[in-house]
Amino acid sequence: MAEGTGRGEALSIWFFVGVMTLLYGLVLLPYGAWEWLTGNEANTVLHQLHPTFWWGILLTLFGVTYTWLHRPGARNKEHI
Amino acid sequence: MMNVLGVVLSAQLISLRWVDIAILVLYFAVVIFIGFYVKGSTNTSEEFFLAGREMSAWVAGLSFVSANLGSLELMGWAGSAYQYGLLAMHWYWIGAIPAMLFLGIVMMPFYYISKTHSVPGYLQLRYGEGARAISAASFAFMTILMSGVNMYAMAVVMQTVLGWNITFSIWVGAITVAIYVMLGGLRSAIINEVLQFVLIWAGAALIPILGLIEAGGWTQLKLNIAHNVGSAEYTHLWSTLGHFKSNPMGVNWVGIVFGLGAVISFGYWTTDFLVVQRVLSANNLRAAKMAPVIGAAFKMAVPLIVIVPGLLALGLMSHGQPAYHLVPGDVAARTGEHSYDQVLPLMLIRYCGPGLLGLGITALVAGFMSGMAGNVSAFSTVWTYDLYGAYLNKKATDKHYVLMGRISTGVGMLISIATAYLVAHASSIMDYVQALFSFFIAPLFGTVILGMLWKRASKQGGFWGLLLGTASSIGMFLYTSTGSAAHKAHALSVIALSPDAQPMAENLFRALWSWIICVVVTVVVSLMTAPKSDAELSGLVYGATVIPDDGATTLWQKPIFWAGIVGVIFVALNVIFF
Repeated sequence: MAEGTGRGEALSIWFFVGVMTLLYGLVLLPYGAWEWLTGNEANTVLHQLHPTFWWGILLTLFGVTYTWLHRPGARNKEHI
Repeated sequence: MMNVLGVVLSAQLISLRWVDIAILVLYFAVVIFIGFYVKGSTNTSEEFFLAGREMSAWVAGLSFVSANLGSLELMGWAGSAYQYGLLAMHWYWIGAIPAMLFLGIVMMPFYYISKTHSVPGYLQLRYGEGARAISAASFAFMTILMSGVNMYAMAVVMQTVLGWNITFSIWVGAITVAIYVMLGGLRSAIINEVLQFVLIWAGAALIPILGLIEAGGWTQLKLNIAHNVGSAEYTHLWSTLGHFKSNPMGVNWVGIVFGLGAVISFGYWTTDFLVVQRVLSANNLRAAKMAPVIGAAFKMAVPLIVIVPGLLALGLMSHGQPAYHLVPGDVAARTGEHSYDQVLPLMLIRYCGPGLLGLGITALVAGFMSGMAGNVSAFSTVWTYDLYGAYLNKKATDKHYVLMGRISTGVGMLISIATAYLVAHASSIMDYVQALFSFFIAPLFGTVILGMLWKRASKQGGFWGLLLGTASSIGMFLYTSTGSAAHKAHALSVIALSPDAQPMAENLFRALWSWIICVVVTVVVSLMTAPKSDAELSGLVYGATVIPDDGATTLWQKPIFWAGIVGVIFVALNVIFF
């Protein structure tokens, strides 16, 4: 059963969490890379740390992990 | 497209670029999709109002804490952290954690095994129709008014921060929420709340990370705050609470421990159906006990994204001077300066460029929408079960009640919109509505807790305790908020037991007194009237109930073990920031 979305449904609530963060990662990562490589970063405090790029990587990794672990058909172990 | 945006985006604090708009639109698309997706699994009343009671502890726990994590609360407490310093943290720690653990370990078994659909429903089982009628009517009325107030406040924030037209914000938010809650009921609301929780962290966690890097670490931030405000009082949790005068909030430890920690917090977290409903959706007793414990663990971390940004604004320096000078809302309206409540957006602009800004704004919008969804889903449940089903149409089919749930969701949303416009034309209503909500929480906690722990509490005791506790709360509010300024100051000193008390202390002490009045009246009337038999109280009260085994076989599966871990961390944090 897909956790949280009802009996008989294929997509679990965690799948939606994964997809949403993955999509956001896939928007932020290339945008952050473009900003960094072209010197188009907004003049925010600490922009030299390239937060958009690194945050994009983090969201992408989190999103990929959750989407994969909770993909339709994956075995769902509930411990608690 | 650009023309449309030009209409809704005018003079504002933040300008969104296409990448920010894309992130926001993506969010709206996903939540609407979820509503349509889960509609097929939302056919019975249990599915619509209690999400089929099939949520795991993690889902119910995240939803439980997320239902309370609205944007108004995020922005308001970030502002309070700027205004009062670390004392604002009490509303997240002592003002939440003990009550959440108590709900999970002590109270949840009764809510869960009684199979009630709502908190008023429990009162009906324990005390009869009188207590349920007071509780259900006041909850339904206040919840829908609160929803309207929140809707208006959201629209004002969107206007200030993004330049959006107020009507545009109200209708877009309301229609989106109405669609997905009418389609998927509590299930939709819960999924959205879990998504919102993740989004809030994704959108806001960069602020404390970058802020602490800029400030030079926590120790340096504390030194900067002491330099900027000329006092070390702003970075302590407890050491300044010996007297009303020795801290920026004007309260003392009695008000914080007994008013906030023991009454307001327990009242809100254990009896406000808006949050309790999320836990009732758990798929078994152990999950129902674990959900508030999981929620408490996450709640302890929330100050990182709420309180720290406020403290950063207080401590950041620019050329040796404080980087920000924020003022109360009424002053900001006159002078055009930034207000306390704008701390979070200001910090967002400071550290987040295009893309990250859109993520932060999406987190705020998600918070607003999930707050609305929480209010209307709780309203439609109490209306359908405890008012319509209890007094107007007792013998309808299950299908009819689901239809009524959907209709009442839509009608509730329309009433909320009407309230929002009412508040827009008379803003003082907002203060009264927010105060009104607090009238019911403290006495209700007295009634519920006595009902669960004291077999002798009688039907009449519960009814009169709740009625007189609530009436006393309203009476104290009128006493302290009417008349001349001199009278108000005197009334505050009487209620809070000190001439040095500030308005914040009034809420804490009013809650404490109304709870005591409720408990005393309940006890006295109960001792004068006939108790219920043990058979009638089975499943409802300690001492008359055999609590079923929750199925935990190892230490790691026991909710009490994890509650102990959370409790130890809670104590350690209070000691560290003493």
